[in-house]
Amino acid sequence: MIPLSETLSQGRELVAEIEHRSGQKVADCYQCGTCSSTCAAADAFDYPPHMFMRLLQLGAVDRAMASTTGQLCYDCMTCSSRCPIRIDVADVIETTKNIADEQGIRESERGLRLFRNLFLKNVRRHGRLHEASLLAWFNLKSGKLTNDLSLVPLILRRKNVRIVQPRIKDRAQVRRIFQRAKERPRW
Amino acid sequence: MVSTAYSYYPGCSLTSSATEYDISFRKVVEALGIQLDELEDWNCCGASPAPHHKAETLGVLLPGRNLHIAGASHDAIVAPCAGCYNRLKYAQYKLAGDQDIREQTSEVFQAEVRYQTEVLNIVQMLNREITPEALRERSQGRLANIRIGAYYGCLLTRPADILGFDSPRDPRKMRPLMEATGAEVPHFPFKTECCGSYMGLARKDILLKASHRIIEVAVSTGLDALVTACPLCHQNLDLRQEQINKAMGTSLRMPVLYFSQLIGLAMGISPEELELDALVVQPDMDRWLKGVA
Repeated sequence: MIPLSETLSQGRELVAEIEHRSGQKVADCYQCGTCSSTCAAADAFDYPPHMFMRLLQLGAVDRAMASTTGQLCYDCMTCSSRCPIRIDVADVIETTKNIADEQGIRESERGLRLFRNLFLKNVRRHGRLHEASLLAWFNLKSGKLTNDLSLVPLILRRKNVRIVQPRIKDRAQVRRIFQRAKERPRW
Repeated sequence: MVSTAYSYYPGCSLTSSATEYDISFRKVVEALGIQLDELEDWNCCGASPAPHHKAETLGVLLPGRNLHIAGASHDAIVAPCAGCYNRLKYAQYKLAGDQDIREQTSEVFQAEVRYQTEVLNIVQMLNREITPEALRERSQGRLANIRIGAYYGCLLTRPADILGFDSPRDPRKMRPLMEATGAEVPHFPFKTECCGSYMGLARKDILLKASHRIIEVAVSTGLDALVTACPLCHQNLDLRQEQINKAMGTSLRMPVLYFSQLIGLAMGISPEELELDALVVQPDMDRWLKGVA
């Protein structure tokens, strides 16, 4: 239950920022619950999507930002595609998570952050992702050394599997791309 | 000089955990007499980890580079991976709609960005190159013994306003060619459900639940196989099927084929050439092709 006493005005600014960046109006949500009933990850969330929207409507942004919803949403966009008034719920959740991350309110879950960082590091250095290297680095860094090792022989029985890390020629341009994204993560 | 051939963007998965998708796609295209030119020096599209929501730069610049290269030589680029297709379309949408984004991108690329090459997924491309009637003629009901489900997942259709491909709630574009194989294609109620995406390494618990629901509904629908156009869906549903069963205490069995493998079988290309033996959950080919000379 969300106590109405949490409807604090201090959350309004952040809600306005979320609305501005996502281009969505959280007040439009009339709590039909379709998003939550169709969400494949709702079991893992402390607030399913419609409750997440309700938190923002109430200005309880801290709760929304601290929730697991943004961390664990994998952006399948099912909620957005089913919303009867076409609110892009997935974008609202993602935007809230990004702002929480930027403002140091809540970092992404460690394993998922590690996965994203290692993925992008591999692409930044070589221009292409090498799945085997990603798995190896992830297991080393997370300490889960045997994670998914049983899948390796199943992958290796394929023809043409790249055993060594592929690299593109124009890595300088890929470096420029990442440099630009670092300097200006948003347009 | 613009070629009439397609520029081909395989993407990273098709060079490692999904090589059978690359091989079977090339076989089908070759049998149709179409030329594919692999995109020169292509890079990773950024997939899910590259931030891409509304305003973020990396999600445009990475796929944008591929669009830019393709634009120099080809009118159309085909990306069989649903994720790569999705990211290319997203970059194109952002570049087409915003002059400031075009200018900034051109600055990074040190050339005026080319972004207008038509981006096609595998279903669009094959629908264009072979009609259901022509495929039916070739297949002669070859796959008449089986029931298969069209599984679209997320990235092939969503967000619909950017992709403009098919309904995000009730997509149907895979079906005509699938039916032309001779197979029965009943409604698969979980055709747009998410398989759990990239959670496999970090949060297997969440992923396996999501994938389990899809396999479970496929089994209860009485299907002989699911058909997908996404290597990540395939990885989660086929490669991880044993993990799914172990985690959920079930003993479900559901082969998952790539769209190109199915079309190839219908065209009379052998299961070996289409790399069907790469699948973890093997279809019973003797029963599938029973009565076929």
